[in-house]
Amino acid sequence: MSEVASGEVVRSEAVSSEVPAIRLQDVGRDFRRPRRSLTQAPPVVHAVRGVTLDIERGERFGIVGESGSGKSTLLRMICGLDRPTSGSIEVEGRPIHNQPAARLGWLRHTLQLVFQDPMSSLDPRMRVRDIVAEPLVAQGQGSGAARRARVVELLEAVGLSADSADRYPHQFSGGQRQRISVARALAPGPDILVADEPVSALDVSVRAQVLNLIDDVVDGFDLTLVFVSHDLSVVRHVCDRVAVMRQGEFVEVAPTEQLYADPRHPYTQQLVSAIPDLHAALDGRAAADLARAVRERSPDA
Amino acid sequence: MSTAATGAAGAGRRAGDEPVLDVRGLHVRTRHTELLSDVDLTIRRGERVGLIGESGSGKSLTALAVLGLLGEGLTATGGVHLAGHEGNLLERSEGGLARIRGDDMAMVFQEPMTALNPTMRVGAQVAEAMTVHGSASRSQARRRAVDLLDQVGLPDPEHAARAYPHQLSGGQRQRVVAAIALANDPVLLVCDEPTTALDVTVQALVLDLIVTGVQSRDAALLFITHDLAVVATVCERVLVMYGGRIVEAGPVGQVFTDPRHQYTAGLLAASDLTAAGARRERSALPTIPGTVPPAGRFPDGCVFRNRCPAATGQCATRPPWTPRGDHGAGETASGYACFYPAGGELR
Ligand SMILES: Nc1ncnc2c1ncn2[C@@H]1O[C@H](COP(=O)(O)OP(=O)(O)O)[C@@H](O)[C@H]1O
Ligand SMILES: Nc1ncnc2c1ncn2[C@@H]1O[C@H](COP(=O)(O)OP(=O)(O)O)[C@@H](O)[C@H]1O
Ligand code: SF4
Ligand SMILES: [Mg+2]
Ligand SMILES: [Mg+2]
Repeated sequence: MSEVASGEVVRSEAVSSEVPAIRLQDVGRDFRRPRRSLTQAPPVVHAVRGVTLDIERGERFGIVGESGSGKSTLLRMICGLDRPTSGSIEVEGRPIHNQPAARLGWLRHTLQLVFQDPMSSLDPRMRVRDIVAEPLVAQGQGSGAARRARVVELLEAVGLSADSADRYPHQFSGGQRQRISVARALAPGPDILVADEPVSALDVSVRAQVLNLIDDVVDGFDLTLVFVSHDLSVVRHVCDRVAVMRQGEFVEVAPTEQLYADPRHPYTQQLVSAIPDLHAALDGRAAADLARAVRERSPDA
Repeated sequence: MSTAATGAAGAGRRAGDEPVLDVRGLHVRTRHTELLSDVDLTIRRGERVGLIGESGSGKSLTALAVLGLLGEGLTATGGVHLAGHEGNLLERSEGGLARIRGDDMAMVFQEPMTALNPTMRVGAQVAEAMTVHGSASRSQARRRAVDLLDQVGLPDPEHAARAYPHQLSGGQRQRVVAAIALANDPVLLVCDEPTTALDVTVQALVLDLIVTGVQSRDAALLFITHDLAVVATVCERVLVMYGGRIVEAGPVGQVFTDPRHQYTAGLLAASDLTAAGARRERSALPTIPGTVPPAGRFPDGCVFRNRCPAATGQCATRPPWTPRGDHGAGETASGYACFYPAGGELR
């Protein structure tokens, strides 16, 4: 996988390049549903089951799956926002699965998260300057003046003008708000960027702008990217390697082009053949063809 | 079996090649703002027409105006004509429109629960749709409801008929809504983002059911989506909307491979993630600068001119409609409104 080579650039403070950015070993997460009767045990949802994976430094790793397949649950655990009920998670060689939140301060420098809906993840009462500086303040990084300079630098890096700093989130369009969340994520100088459906709420023309931005920052800041989407076409565009998730499990992990050209697992085959594609449609692939492929390739059939 | 119920009426109203839906010079306004301007659209029977554009371009308002479902504070002017119904639907009373909706003209929206009664069993809702509009007796309707649920691909339709909406998945609910929409063999089906909230495998099945449903009834379909690949999969003809206006129209193959309006060209380029260059060399995707303005803030003249790379001073006046080729559904069915059309080089 030659694409990955660029990520193996040695960093001055870095952990050895042998250590993967993220290592998941047999990770599981069960949720208990509210008890429905006094005599039966409460039902358990196995949101994530037996996920084992190394994500190498500099890799652009994608996770696709339909809604409810466990993508967000897995990401939350990778970000230290939730703990697995089984298995272990290491980020740059350091365990995070068994640590209390108070001991994961370092993780905020290393790994940052961008969500789908920038409106719900940006505090409407805060000015953009304070939103972007928040991770720096939280970690006591830099003086006030240094932080102000850093905010301007970050806004410019994501294509917003310096005077955006004085405005509030509602004064921006959806795409611009997503730029603000990327600027905030970059503030502490992370090595890893984790994005959960970052373009799913955006219009096509704006989606292209944000995908280009993610591409630029991943390249420009030498980041490892973990990118989650239900949209296989977007993941195909962004990622080097893709995991397909179904009912909490990884059913297939493969380099992107291989996954799309030669899917092995019946579920991957079903997903790939269900995607409407403009070029294929113009060549005559109709709704009936997509539906037939879905029925024929059902993994439960 | 449904032909018995509608055959007689159908033969009369569907005769000839006159359009099923004919919208002329449709305007929709609030007290202060014009939201839709001069929308023309014609759909003939059996024809599947897509309406595309980014959010805020006026697609849903177009659907609502056609269906007579515009909210308080909005007024529509112009003409909306439906085959088999005399006169302008915009001038009908709500009572008159309600009878046409669900009978000759039916709809499927993004969120199925808006169309379903949460406290009523699914089968009864489908049956009610048929009896209210008088196409079947009560007991006939019950039996046909189960048949229809079977036709739209619900596993175990007998069981599904007895379920309440919340006991079904999102995809199953949308099929129930489609079953209700198709129950009276409408001449026009309007779908507004019917699969946007669904997973891709479920989407494939629902799209198939919509296409099969309109094809077997020879009905006209107006299909709204922001997803170009979906519209290319479902429709034969497409209308591109921006700033409350139709800026381009034509056969899908023509508009999507050889667009003329600069907005269409930009939209296509920005959405094409599978273009070889964009993927393998990871070159930047083409983008349209800026974002869709809020209603009332589109420039006068060409609505796209503040984002258009080809704009000149001339674009401050309204570009006229340039018909393209000779389309059976009339000159608004294929053409564009642009002074400096893109052409050829995008092929
Ligand atoms: N906090 C929670 N409590 C109970 N169940 C949950 C919780 N979070 C997620 N789940 C369940 O776990 C499964 C996976 O959800 P999620 O990770 O959000 O999927 P995805 O992001 O792929 O759509 C779903 O069945 C969901 O209902
Ligand atoms: N009832 C209303 N009052 C005022 N503005 C409205 C109303 N309904 C829709 N709009 C505005 O009209 C424009 C077009 O809306 P809509 O038809 O929903 O767009 P689309 O479906 O293409 O996303 C948007 O800017 C929207 O905010
Ligand atoms: S009329 Fe002018 S501004 Fe409008 S799309 Fe054509 S070139 Fe651009
Ligand atoms: Mg999720
Ligand atoms: Mg809409």
